[in-house]
Amino acid sequence: MEDVIIVDQLSKSYGSTQAVNSISFSVRKGEIFGIIGPNGAGKTTTIEMLEGIRKPDGGAISVLGLTPHKQLRELNKRIGVQFQATAIQKKMKVKEALDLFSSFYKTNQKDHLIALLGLHEKLNANFEDLSGGWKQRLTLALATLHKPEILFLDEPSMGLDPHARREMWKLIHVLKEEGCTIVLTTHYMEEAEKLCDRVAMIYGGRLKALDTPENLLNEIPVHYLSFESKELEYDFLISLPSVVNVDVENHTFKLLSDDQQETAYYIFKYCHENNILLRNFRFEKGSLDDLFVHFLEKEQTA
Amino acid sequence: MTVMMKLASLETKMFFRDRISVFWTFLFPVLMIWLFGSMFGDSDLNGLSFAEMFVPSWIGVNIVTTSFFTLGTVLTGYRETGVLRRYQSTPVQSWMILAAHTFQGAVIFAISALLLMIFGMMMYDLTLPAYIGSTLIALVVSMLAFFPFALFLTSLAKNTQSAAAISSLCLNVMLFLSGAAFPLQFMPDIIQTVAKALPLYYVVELLRGTWNTAPITEYGLEVGVLLGIAVLSTVLASRFFRWSDQ
Repeated sequence: MEDVIIVDQLSKSYGSTQAVNSISFSVRKGEIFGIIGPNGAGKTTTIEMLEGIRKPDGGAISVLGLTPHKQLRELNKRIGVQFQATAIQKKMKVKEALDLFSSFYKTNQKDHLIALLGLHEKLNANFEDLSGGWKQRLTLALATLHKPEILFLDEPSMGLDPHARREMWKLIHVLKEEGCTIVLTTHYMEEAEKLCDRVAMIYGGRLKALDTPENLLNEIPVHYLSFESKELEYDFLISLPSVVNVDVENHTFKLLSDDQQETAYYIFKYCHENNILLRNFRFEKGSLDDLFVHFLEKEQTA
Repeated sequence: MTVMMKLASLETKMFFRDRISVFWTFLFPVLMIWLFGSMFGDSDLNGLSFAEMFVPSWIGVNIVTTSFFTLGTVLTGYRETGVLRRYQSTPVQSWMILAAHTFQGAVIFAISALLLMIFGMMMYDLTLPAYIGSTLIALVVSMLAFFPFALFLTSLAKNTQSAAAISSLCLNVMLFLSGAAFPLQFMPDIIQTVAKALPLYYVVELLRGTWNTAPITEYGLEVGVLLGIAVLSTVLASRFFRWSDQ
């Protein structure tokens, strides 16, 4: 696979704060690449350096073979950007915005996008009268009018309700199928799991992990058993075969085990024989959220 | 060029969708002339009638309000709400935005100037400018000086509120101290000196003069000062143009 973005030892600081600290990664053509991390982790700074609107302090970036902050005009013809929390003029109609932004480029796929995003019914609405979901659709359309080779999305589903968020994910998938490489930032782990082919996890300005969501989850023990019980004791549970770790809070147990089935068997057997009530027993599949917490805890203990 | 014209015509269209700003921009100056007219309507000021004295100077004031409120404050709002940022990753360049807003400002100003003149002609027997070509050139020079001047000053503001504060301050100081609202000869010497440091003073002198007394060639100093401001503030406005407030 061809790399369309190559980032090497990228750094940026604001005053004494090191926002991005020696990050390296590359993005392959045609993939959805996620940059995830909590608020203030350095995601936006990173993506803005890729877009060329922020100048790095150190390291090298190549986007489509260009150096973003030096060749911004050339780059802007080939990339599309949906910024976090931006607006267009309040009194601008949807069709006027589409028309205006189309005139920036030599070619455009305006009609295709109107159909794809279902913007027909809103063409005459003023921007200020649109709901959050429609605003995001419109700004997504504005960012993709010229069929960009790379599309940058900064927190694309922030502030959207669950339904609108799913719709947004579908649209992003369609854009990918149409051949666009997509780089997005998010702090919703679910979004990263559902959307991204690969994710870079950033925390405190450093790259903590980089892989497919599945591999990240498999690599680290984040699958566990969870249940509620008033009678079971920590000492008993930790002594069971294969159990690695037991967390208990308010009679709710989280049990990390190398062999979940075996551990479950012993728990059920013991409870059955001693007539103990178990509630809400679940085999939990860890999410990227858990992975995140895992990383943070490791950080604190280190 | 088409991008610039498209931006300019859209911005003009959107201006007219905002009824409140339309009211303030077009009706307010007319109301002020009417108010002043009801007070000084019959007076003779240095051989000029009320309308000959005040209609040109209020047209001058209109350049100030247009440049600070219609252009400067609006652009600061665009910066604050991320409108400008959205252009940043497109092929649009900063000069296109400045030019588009300058064009929009010129259209809006032309309408309000025309309204004031017609009102003056209907109510106070104002005549067309004596040197109409000179007056038109004077208006263009004044806009060239004031539009980038206001765009630069308001771009220093962090948000719309402080841009509005800067704008109100500039407007009020110039309105009262540059001879636009009150004739300078009634003012103490010190204020007459201060007036000469304010750009609006030169606009008012130029407009009043070409309207009533002499062609623009007689006003070399005023034209020179205004062109100087135009060049300097155009350089500053484009040099310090910011896409976002971060």
